[in-house]
Amino acid sequence: MRIATFILVGVLTPLAAQEIRLPANLDKLTAKAEESVDVTLDGSMLRLAARFLSDRDHDQVKVKRLIGGLQGIYVRSFTFATDGEYSMADVDALRAQAQSPTWSRIVGVVSKQHGENVDVYFKNAGDKLGGVLIIAAEPRELTVVNIVGTIDPEDLSDLGGEFHIPKLEIKAGYHRRRDPR
Amino acid sequence: MSTRLLVIILALSVAALAGDQEFDRIVRAIETHYGTRRTHIPFMGLANLAVQVARPAGTSGFKLAVFEDLSYSPEDQAKLDRFMYGLSGSDLHPLVRTHSRRDRESTYIFVGEAGRSTKVLIATFERNEATVIEVKVDMDTLLKWIDSPELAGKSSRDRTDW
Repeated sequence: MRIATFILVGVLTPLAAQEIRLPANLDKLTAKAEESVDVTLDGSMLRLAARFLSDRDHDQVKVKRLIGGLQGIYVRSFTFATDGEYSMADVDALRAQAQSPTWSRIVGVVSKQHGENVDVYFKNAGDKLGGVLIIAAEPRELTVVNIVGTIDPEDLSDLGGEFHIPKLEIKAGYHRRRDPR
Repeated sequence: MSTRLLVIILALSVAALAGDQEFDRIVRAIETHYGTRRTHIPFMGLANLAVQVARPAGTSGFKLAVFEDLSYSPEDQAKLDRFMYGLSGSDLHPLVRTHSRRDRESTYIFVGEAGRSTKVLIATFERNEATVIEVKVDMDTLLKWIDSPELAGKSSRDRTDW
């Protein structure tokens, strides 16, 4: 039993370590930002939401299906009064986490709202995405989305617009790229 | 009365009492933290009754506490975050937090389970005022409030004008 516990811990620890954690320095941007929004939907909240979402309302059925495999949705969004109030160093800690072997970047994702490129990283989980990190960085706006859990690639676009997640358009023929380490 | 029915009634009473305690606990914490008292609102009982009867926009049950002349500065956002997040308990989870330096406003939305519906507690700090609202909402309303947190406090506060 004890050996089995050690094996289980040994297997689960690297998996947990592969989850993205939003760095604490993002919270410091709140003090600089003109507007900030912080949405935290952890596992217990998602389970609570799933229990109360309707099985008849089309929109709620869609949301229920989307969050079914998820363990958490964390959104930090900042709007700044002027350019240059945050630096890329503020999001580098996040990008660094997405450099682990299980994570890849989707190239060719465009924000529907601003038409600019958005960095979307995902964790490989067979034919599904095992986690998604979205970084939408503009001169006066920064949005970071961390989706923990499994989701169909086709559903990623549907999550856009919900819970302050930017609306995304994944271009036809998008491809996955492993960033150079 | 069967024992089973008695247990169910007792459980529901405890759950209702626990819900009241959450709102009262947060109101008392704000009073203590800012050294103030909630403002008495005339005919608040009548407004509560109106909400319970009319049940507008997927809401039921309604509690409101208003605080005036708070020594609150928007620059104290980090302190306010720590204070508000410290108030969340096992029955009340932080869901949304917004800060607006332009409007000098901060909004916190906490969510908890309340039997067959969702209990939402909204705390809004605006200039030298604060408003705490507890209301039970359906999921459709909650999803709308997540999308527009600033509307959650405003729409609920406006209901006291009835």
